[in-house]
Amino acid sequence: MTTGFDLTIEEQLAILMSREVNDWETSACGALSFIPATAMLLGREMRAPNAEIIILGSRDYSPFVTGKDFHFHAQRGQLDLFFISAIEIDQHGNFNLHVIGDRDEPDVLMPGQYGTGMLYYAVPRIVMFRTEHTRRSFVDQVNYVSGAGTSPNGVSRRTREVKVITPMAKLNFNQESRIMELGSVHEGFSVDQVVENTGFNLGIRGEIDKTPQITEEEVHTLRTVVKSHMIDSETYPNEAANLIREP
Amino acid sequence: MYTMIQAGSMGVPFTSTLGYAGTDILERRPDDFKIIENPFDSQERTVVAKAMNPDVAIFHGLKGDRLGNVLVQKHGEELLLAQASRRVIVTVEEIVNSVDFEDSDGWFIPSIHVSAVVHASLGAHPTGVPGLYDADEDRINEYVKASGTDESFDKYLNRYVFEVGSHQQYLELVGLRPELEAVAR
Repeated sequence: MTTGFDLTIEEQLAILMSREVNDWETSACGALSFIPATAMLLGREMRAPNAEIIILGSRDYSPFVTGKDFHFHAQRGQLDLFFISAIEIDQHGNFNLHVIGDRDEPDVLMPGQYGTGMLYYAVPRIVMFRTEHTRRSFVDQVNYVSGAGTSPNGVSRRTREVKVITPMAKLNFNQESRIMELGSVHEGFSVDQVVENTGFNLGIRGEIDKTPQITEEEVHTLRTVVKSHMIDSETYPNEAANLIREP
Repeated sequence: MYTMIQAGSMGVPFTSTLGYAGTDILERRPDDFKIIENPFDSQERTVVAKAMNPDVAIFHGLKGDRLGNVLVQKHGEELLLAQASRRVIVTVEEIVNSVDFEDSDGWFIPSIHVSAVVHASLGAHPTGVPGLYDADEDRINEYVKASGTDESFDKYLNRYVFEVGSHQQYLELVGLRPELEAVAR
């Protein structure tokens, strides 16, 4: 980023993702989700004071007794937005949370998708994110389909909007063509750079928007109110202390 | 997998779940998951998961008593797993005279779902028990590294499982850390 704020990747992504949190809606993330947790808390401060926030595994932001309660909540249609972190994302909106490398002889076998293959159908709005924008993460075809971009005929799906946010750009999943397209490019990067670092055709037609600039207010709010709240409420306190800079 | 245990705990042959259609989970496990027509609405199809009823479930808890009642960590799915399984072995940090149904340190599982209780303080090692002891990161890393090949994993199993005569010997082998010793009874 060239915005002069000297943002960490986590800060940058959290700010961009915070803009997806809508007032009066229920937004959620899983466990081990510092970036989306930060995004939701910032979103609430900036633009969505009445947002319902669910951060699984947290003390103050998880109203569920077990994981099952959360999953059933989603299946009943009571979530509006869910954040998904993926290892690989492909042109067809599939994501991989299972393996690094070959699916039969993986270099690393990951814990799996813990319900995201269901949430990817059950939640109307999905925001995926990745801390790197590279050809190894944005691939033609994921090595393992943990979540499917396209549904077989007749299978009910609530999901109607899928976005991907990376350190370089925002991608939108075209719901008609079922193809991932370049939505906007962040400040400091060019369309060419995004194309060069993406392993599939981004469906570029005409001029591509620039992502609205990160504002001083967003950065300041993140580094003051949100950071101290996360530490005080023990919501990823160590990550907040280390990965969100001092104001 | 969760859905399979869920069906197993309910005593029904399968149960329906949203999502998963189009994933490799279904593609790889055609005997466990299928897409079927909703019998109540021919316009809709749904994924169903076959019930799983494990022969044996083994999990670790906080307390157990002489009747087989146990107290397990909160927020887990142990009760569901116990209900789905034919035999249930629970290792516990502590044997007490009577596990209190109201004990707020954990969740109560009644003995009707339990086959055996085994006293094993530090029994979660190398993972931890929140509030009692943390995961042993060095040993976890050793485990993860060993899991890379069959050969190294066999070696790990021999060293820490097959060639160890008792739980006490295991604890001596891994070297009790001071904070663990405080918990061990």
